[in-house]
Amino acid sequence: MKKSILGLLSVMVVLSILVSACGSATPETVTVVQTVEKVVTQEVETVVTKEVEKVVTKEVEKVVTKEVEKVAEPVHIVLWTKEGETDGGLQFVQSLAEAYTSIHPNVTFDVVNKDVEALREDFQTAALAGSSPDLLWTVNDHAGPFTAADLIMPVDDLFDLSAYVDSALKAAKLDGKTWGVPISNGNHLMLLYNKSLVATPPETTDDLIAMAADLKAQGITPLVFNQTEPFWMVPWLGGFGGAVFADDGVTPTLDTPAMVNTLAFLHDIKYKEEIIPTESDYDGADTLFKEGKAAMIINGDWSLGGYADLLGKDLGVARIPKVSATGEWPKPYTAGVYFMLPNTLEGAKLDAVVDFVKFATNTNNQALMVAKLNRLPALKTALDDPLISQNELLKGSADQMVVGVPMPTVLEMRCNWDAMKPEMQAVLADTKTPEDAAAAMQSAADNCIKTLE
Amino acid sequence: MHSLTFDVIRRSLEEVGSTVALIFVGTVLLEALLYFVLRRIFKSKFTIPFMLLGPAIVGLIALIVYPLLWEFNLSLTNMSLRHFGDKAQYTWVVCQTLDPAKIDSYLTDCLIKNYANVFRLPVLKQAYFFPVFFKTILWTFINVFFHVLGGLGLAILLNRPMRGRGLYRAILILPWAIPQVIAVLAWRGEFHFEYGFMNIILRDLGMQPIKWMTDPTWNFVAMVLVNVWLGIPFMMVILLGGLQSISGEFYEAAEIDGASNFQQFTNITLPLLRPVMTPAIVLGTIWTFNNFNVPFFINQNELESSDILVTALFRAAFQYNRYGFAAAFAFVIFVILLIYSIFYIKITGGLKEVYE
Repeated sequence: MKKSILGLLSVMVVLSILVSACGSATPETVTVVQTVEKVVTQEVETVVTKEVEKVVTKEVEKVVTKEVEKVAEPVHIVLWTKEGETDGGLQFVQSLAEAYTSIHPNVTFDVVNKDVEALREDFQTAALAGSSPDLLWTVNDHAGPFTAADLIMPVDDLFDLSAYVDSALKAAKLDGKTWGVPISNGNHLMLLYNKSLVATPPETTDDLIAMAADLKAQGITPLVFNQTEPFWMVPWLGGFGGAVFADDGVTPTLDTPAMVNTLAFLHDIKYKEEIIPTESDYDGADTLFKEGKAAMIINGDWSLGGYADLLGKDLGVARIPKVSATGEWPKPYTAGVYFMLPNTLEGAKLDAVVDFVKFATNTNNQALMVAKLNRLPALKTALDDPLISQNELLKGSADQMVVGVPMPTVLEMRCNWDAMKPEMQAVLADTKTPEDAAAAMQSAADNCIKTLE
Repeated sequence: MHSLTFDVIRRSLEEVGSTVALIFVGTVLLEALLYFVLRRIFKSKFTIPFMLLGPAIVGLIALIVYPLLWEFNLSLTNMSLRHFGDKAQYTWVVCQTLDPAKIDSYLTDCLIKNYANVFRLPVLKQAYFFPVFFKTILWTFINVFFHVLGGLGLAILLNRPMRGRGLYRAILILPWAIPQVIAVLAWRGEFHFEYGFMNIILRDLGMQPIKWMTDPTWNFVAMVLVNVWLGIPFMMVILLGGLQSISGEFYEAAEIDGASNFQQFTNITLPLLRPVMTPAIVLGTIWTFNNFNVPFFINQNELESSDILVTALFRAAFQYNRYGFAAAFAFVIFVILLIYSIFYIKITGGLKEVYE
């Protein structure tokens, strides 16, 4: 550029000298000089503009290249999910990860499946050892222990949470902050029935007992559910008018008449009415229902996809039968499944994780989840999808949610779960009375809460 | 399911490779340092032995001594979910913030609080230390008894000329060859009330099926059955080796003297097997006492009645998040086994030959 400008300036100088050498300037020579000056100025401007454009373009290119390089920095995300293979949940998570990688080839994933409890225990241990995963796909009540141990970060400033359903957000709130981005809304128990065995689901527990005789005569187990986890007992406790915490939300209330009645009811339907099997864990109940050996199962929304694939139109969804003794509907815990972000995330990895979470919960992928897993979405816009309004199973699931109660996320809830589990099993194994079991639950929960400090 | 691509292999090798490279470089540096210090500076004649032992000593310090010290340090803190990681404090530091009137004893309430808690608070949700400890002893005794009985019986059967002896031996060793967790999980399936092999057999025999998973007694029986099945092959192999080392001349002489089979067994076989049997029983006792897989996985419903000390320890640490308490609990178990080992070695003179 310098050379061209110098060249033009030289021409101007030479011309000026020539004109001056010719003596006093005539009007013609002035006009010539002016014209030459104009032309030269224009030329100079054009050349300068071109050169500046070139430089700017080069600079912009450099900056863009740098930015692109920054964005394309390889990021590997280890994602732990509680989703298993049987109902297609794990495959869905993997498909999301693969879809994201196809758009952003620099971001790769390791999707690791862990049972809900194993995920919690392993995450705490991994965090202690300084080798946390980068993203968790888990249930809301994990927020309690994870926040107590300061292992996850609040997500309020990272996402536009107004896009998500309020009830789902509430279940991940603690101390005024939101600790998870909701993926699905619900995670609640409901009554699922095989229409080829039961035409109309029981409205009340009395109806359930009444229809059980016919089913048993056919060699069909009337009702199955996971008898090893208190998560399946809690709805009945609500139906008998009880709750696991006092109004303060942290004081266990397990030794109550409602709990005794709940345990007595469970004992009765097992030993007196013989409605439920002698022993049944999650897999046992699931298999009996899938094989058509059980007419009804109490299971969560996560199982809808798998059962719908197997039973098709024979699958029905209803509320868990109303407790005849109280006239109350059982109250399953409602929450959802959430993304939780370890507080060790930073820089490019945090950016990639946030972007992936937005991608995984966008309207399209929420609709895909509804279609594949039959779960209620957590994104407001996805709720309007005709897939939901036209889906009988999801309508039933939403109807059950109406009578549900939000699952507590406080750390003390862990003590309640751990306290209820062995005592509920003892009553179902007929080795303890409901009264003794309720008292033992209370003392175990109280002891546990003392050890939290 | 992800396929094993070149990229996956490369990434795995990268992860492992850096550790291996680090160990290699560290070893070379250590050897160079030892050589320089011992040979060049001190002119020691023990340079080579120290160079050979050096990496092993560093490995033992890193893998055993350091974790033990870390664990001991942890056992003196109040670490739990509310006091996680850096937030954990020594129990005596916590004491300084408490009302002195609430402290009965500085030693047990402040200094060694977690150790005292092992004996005065439930180690599980309801169960205290001593009931769990005595159950662990019962579990160990029953298992080792049947291991020795079954192992000896099978070893005697195999220790005689017969066709297909090698095949029988291979089949009998199979339980030992299967990874323990896999075997235990397979067994757990067989104890399923509806679909398990055990109850199917009982039903076919016209008997009532058993509640293996929820009945505390039967759950304990299930644990013992699995562990006996797993433990017999080890004892059988050891005792078979011992039996084969006993010269046939003893039995010939006994037969000439008119000794019965039982007399031969009690007066020849058992005494001559003792040097082999003693260390096998010591090892078997410690393994069974510390057996985690069988009690943990068979006890799917987490019945406290089926927990032994090590499973209780695991639950205290990783399910109930009582990290400081669990570290103290681990040291208590360690001391119990240390006392047992010292006592047993003294009584049996197990390490006599090493000393002499």
